[in-house]
Amino acid sequence: MEKVIEISHLTKNYGKNRGVEDVSLTVEKGDIFGFLGPNGAGKSTTIRSMLGFLRFSEGSISILGLDSVRDHEEILKNVGYMPSEAWFYMSMKVEDAIRYAAKVRGVDCREEAEMLCERLKLDVKKRIRELSLGNRKKVSIVCAMQHKPKLFVFDEPTSGLDPLMQKIFFELIEEYVSKGTTCLLSTHVLSEVNRYCRHAAIMREGKLTLLDSPKIDDESFLKFYMD
Amino acid sequence: MKAVYFKELQLNLKTFLIWSLAVGMMGLLCILLFQSMEGEMKGMADAFSNMGAFSDAFGMSTLSIATLTGYFATEVGTVHGLGSGMFSAILAIGILSKEEEVHTGEFLFSLPVSRTKVVAAKALCVATMLTCFTLLCALFYVIGFAALGEEIPTADFVKFMGMQLLMNFETAGICFLCSSLSGKNRMGMGIALALGFYFFDLIGRVVPDMKEALVIGPYSYANASEIFSGVETKAAAVVIALILMVIATVSAFAVYNRRDLAS
Repeated sequence: MEKVIEISHLTKNYGKNRGVEDVSLTVEKGDIFGFLGPNGAGKSTTIRSMLGFLRFSEGSISILGLDSVRDHEEILKNVGYMPSEAWFYMSMKVEDAIRYAAKVRGVDCREEAEMLCERLKLDVKKRIRELSLGNRKKVSIVCAMQHKPKLFVFDEPTSGLDPLMQKIFFELIEEYVSKGTTCLLSTHVLSEVNRYCRHAAIMREGKLTLLDSPKIDDESFLKFYMD
Repeated sequence: MKAVYFKELQLNLKTFLIWSLAVGMMGLLCILLFQSMEGEMKGMADAFSNMGAFSDAFGMSTLSIATLTGYFATEVGTVHGLGSGMFSAILAIGILSKEEEVHTGEFLFSLPVSRTKVVAAKALCVATMLTCFTLLCALFYVIGFAALGEEIPTADFVKFMGMQLLMNFETAGICFLCSSLSGKNRMGMGIALALGFYFFDLIGRVVPDMKEALVIGPYSYANASEIFSGVETKAAAVVIALILMVIATVSAFAVYNRRDLAS
């Protein structure tokens, strides 16, 4: 099976503070990989290292067979990222933000963007500053999906979305995955992992534990959150 | 990179219009006020030219404020020097750091564009805006001279505006470096830097012992009184400015490429 994400012995520290330590992880093509863990465990640090926001001190990251540092720009052409806080330029209209993301990518995504906006019931004429967190998240979903990437990286994507939108969001993920996309899903919501993920791992205090199955019970799950 | 550049221009358009119209119109108003003050200026010119070091500092010992050229150099020269310096600083000190300050960095840097290209697009945006600012202000001043029916000393005027633009580039270069170092918009620091450069030049002209150190300041080669009274610009000052500008800009690229971006 083709490896889409290959993290090998990743270590990232913030000065004297711990980031992540010796993290190794492989995600294969077509997987929906659940990435669990308490706040501050190192999930975002791992994701931000993958996307080149952070410079890591040790280890290597390969995405879609490319080196995350050397081929950073090439990788991002095929990645759709949704950060936990969906921020855009406040003075922009929704349609401008979506069009801007497509323009920087150099691709015509109008048809796909229109379909996504319709499914997510997103008012594209509104200004970003007028939107609630949930609606900003929808803009973020469109920006992450409109170019039909090979890999989704979602960091706590459902916070702020209402239950109906959460359902539509996961339907969209499954549709794209059925066409060959891979998804790394960082979340605190165990039910999302149980329901949608095929593999999962839990981070705790900067270290990663791979789970045998994504179907774990609440009690085992909560143990990772306790000291 | 083109999309990022045009987006930056669009995002900074309001600031550009406010500053260029404010400084340009203030300069124009100063010029238009000259005729109504011309009579009083004659009496004041003698008094102002005999104030020792202060007359030297403001160029009133070499230029007469009773003439439009002298008045332009001392009054509009100060307005444009301070206004353009502050605009350069404000524009450049926030242009990189704002992405982290308002949390838009994750959106921008998750798009397939390298940090080098983003920094280049933003540097180009600053350069474009400063050039347009200079041209727009120059247009206001030319209109002012034309409205009064006075001939503009073209060579000195072009040199003055050119040197002011270089001073703006140098100030912006230093602030651009500051912007690359921080994840917060340091607008106050930018204004303090621009004002600091101006007062360094002013004090350097008043205090005899500091005269030699003047060349390191961005305002030393852009002084309107010196330019309009035909004093030759020190080549060392221009060379230092170019070196500082290049070092600061290149360092901004290096720093921004290496550091972690805040979420």
